[in-house]
Amino acid sequence: MSSAIDISAFHGTDPVLAIAEEVFTAMIDGEPGLVRPWTGDVPPLADEMHAWVDVHGPFPGRVLVSTEAGTAQDLARALLGMGADEAVSDEDLVDALGEVANVVGGNVKALVADPHALGLPVVDRARPATRPEDLLHSLPLDWRGRLVEVGLWTLP
Amino acid sequence: MRVLVTDDSRVMRQIVIRTLRQAGYDWDVTEAPDGAAGLEVVRQEDPDLVLSDWNMPEMTGIEFLRAMRAEGIETPFGFVTSEGSAEMREQAEAEGALFLIAKPFTADTFRDTIDPFLA
Repeated sequence: MSSAIDISAFHGTDPVLAIAEEVFTAMIDGEPGLVRPWTGDVPPLADEMHAWVDVHGPFPGRVLVSTEAGTAQDLARALLGMGADEAVSDEDLVDALGEVANVVGGNVKALVADPHALGLPVVDRARPATRPEDLLHSLPLDWRGRLVEVGLWTLP
Repeated sequence: MRVLVTDDSRVMRQIVIRTLRQAGYDWDVTEAPDGAAGLEVVRQEDPDLVLSDWNMPEMTGIEFLRAMRAEGIETPFGFVTSEGSAEMREQAEAEGALFLIAKPFTADTFRDTIDPFLA
């Protein structure tokens, strides 16, 4: 994917931010403006959860969404239209974060020339093993004051 | 009007069902978690419309559509999928799908895409 997506070619606009804004506006918030680039130092995630989809093809890559479990619960509540005090099942928590990665990943894949195939989402408490040199693009987001990180990685 | 919503994500099925309601479609909804289960529902319940994800375990959406058509089942079929590349849209149309809605979507997207086929 490294030679298929050149973020600098988007003339100062971040296509991943545009995708994230669209996903959060349409699916999660129902209104624009509640997700924006994180400003200042990015704090380490506590009680972290990760969801990723892999893009298979000539330029294999991974779209990784990372956040804290509490934020993932709020994302699930928003996606399912649940109240703030309703309990989220583990199954829905995994499903919801996986779908966020899946939809972001599907739209990122659209930036890559075909033929590429999108894998199914994977969700884990442990960050998937990646090499620092494979990080293609990192976008820390501020969603209602909470950190949601989107990363694009090349796969060896 | 009876619609089958097929997606391996329960969360996404709920979002599709909610968006159908927001778009004004007060339809009876049946759910299936993959293409193979969807095919069984189509055989048994003969819905008026199938909305299906593309990328699913067991049987993908395009395999689901092909299996329906191979059995002579001509139920109108539309994709609701996280990928909307030109290649996939061409493939969907070639296999007989009415439309492909790419995620994320809104109620307006649903109305603009589905309404023309309801006349």
